[in-house]
Amino acid sequence: MTPGARPAGGSGSATDTGAIRASGLAVDFPLRRGGRLLALDQLNLEIAGGEIVALIGPNGSGKSTLLRAIAGLLPPLRGTVELDGVPITGPDPRIGLVFQEPRLLPWRTAAENICYPLELAGWDAERRRDRLAQLLDLVRLDPSAVGSRPFELSGGTGQRVALARALALQPEVLLLDEPFSQLDALTRERFDLELLALWERSATTTVLVTHNIAEAILVADRVIVLSARPGRVVADIPVDLPRPRTLASLEDAFVTRAAREIRAWLGESSGEASAEAAVPDATVVDTTVAGAA
Amino acid sequence: MGTRTVLPVAAALGVFLIAWKAVVVIGAYPVFILPAPEVVADRFIRAWVEGTIQPHLAGTLQEIFLGFATGTGAALLVGYVLARSPLVERLISPYIVAAQATPILALSPLLVLWFGPGLLGKVVICSLIVFFPVAVATMVGIRSVDKRLLELGRSLRANRRQVVLTLEIPAALPSILGGMRVGVTLAVVGAIVGEWAGADRGLGVLINLARGSLFDIPLLFATLLTIALVGMALYLVVVLLERRLIGAR
Repeated sequence: MTPGARPAGGSGSATDTGAIRASGLAVDFPLRRGGRLLALDQLNLEIAGGEIVALIGPNGSGKSTLLRAIAGLLPPLRGTVELDGVPITGPDPRIGLVFQEPRLLPWRTAAENICYPLELAGWDAERRRDRLAQLLDLVRLDPSAVGSRPFELSGGTGQRVALARALALQPEVLLLDEPFSQLDALTRERFDLELLALWERSATTTVLVTHNIAEAILVADRVIVLSARPGRVVADIPVDLPRPRTLASLEDAFVTRAAREIRAWLGESSGEASAEAAVPDATVVDTTVAGAA
Repeated sequence: MGTRTVLPVAAALGVFLIAWKAVVVIGAYPVFILPAPEVVADRFIRAWVEGTIQPHLAGTLQEIFLGFATGTGAALLVGYVLARSPLVERLISPYIVAAQATPILALSPLLVLWFGPGLLGKVVICSLIVFFPVAVATMVGIRSVDKRLLELGRSLRANRRQVVLTLEIPAALPSILGGMRVGVTLAVVGAIVGEWAGADRGLGVLINLARGSLFDIPLLFATLLTIALVGMALYLVVVLLERRLIGAR
């Protein structure tokens, strides 16, 4: 368990560590065919310590780029990203990252994959074993799976292993890049709820990149909508649903309004007419933006 | 291996021996052209009992092991650098390819002239012939390491040494071991070729003796059999190593 457990109820309660601030951020990267692509520009974003936030945007809006900039994997072209007031200049042990695919080392067992960050950080075998036991408990990973190789694991279990690996060094910030997008709808919902439970038990600032409006609303304190490339924040929509949330939370009338608002912003930012926002309420929530752009 | 695989293997060997014997009988070949299998078997056993083969085998194995070790070691280093530096690759790969395209048989007299007829010359020839397949396999293997795994390593602040040891080498290992499979059988060729260019012991020397001053053609065949068995055994060692290292992925 991450130190400094969240106060009971814990909705959006700020902690003193894990605050992220991006100001005037521009990030570009080289293209294979030459030239550079400006993925983010003039992006300002503030995430309080302990907050859980969803990043949503049309395809190519730079959601993953923003996540990588926060993770210190992409240097800013202009502007800064700060963690607890100090600019991020490279990968940081206070930040844990979960990718779209489990991204496990195929020659290691699940347990060895979870302990990989600990190994790189120079932990001895005994400390690694103790931490592994805690992590298995934290992400509710079946101990019988730990000896398996990645190819033997289901997509969901693989992502659970990846989550445990990201949490291994007790990060203050957890970044998730569409982590459940390759799971089927029901499994995804289960994982969303487990992610929520995990967040509620810890003080970890959590940023979830997603394509899915319902997922964003179910999980987040705030849904941040990015524009089409170059991405910047076009809307910041608070989600005032009581916690702890369940799937029934999605039946709240508020959800429909929030979903319609997000959808309208997405339609606008992807340069399409926001006519899509006028579709009947019942279907709004279930539709992903994946096919929209 | 269960009986299910042993049986067909034994049957195939039986067919081979019968065909061999049939050729000898039908063609009525004299022993100094093509000895019958049982003649070779008898000579093979006798050569071992009398201790004819052992010193030569020991010499050849020594050359193979040293040559394979140095050739593989150099190939791993060079292959890694070739994979990671496009400039170095452009600069030196033409020479590596040219060296490989020149038959080792043509190079060996020169190498023996330079490095002497002793062990060193053979080790150089062996390592040269082992070098190419292992270097190419290493280069290909390192180049094809999943970029996403390297990004993971970077996000976990793996240092250069950790990236090489925990990501690149394990990821490239199947390819590297594939190159070593080819390399280890070529090492046998290199040792024999080196011995032909000048040596006082080794299985290559024994072949020359059996064909020349001894004129013992069954012994020549027994030596060839020994060489083939050595190659198969070494190949098997690499395959077992491969199975042990990358069995379950």
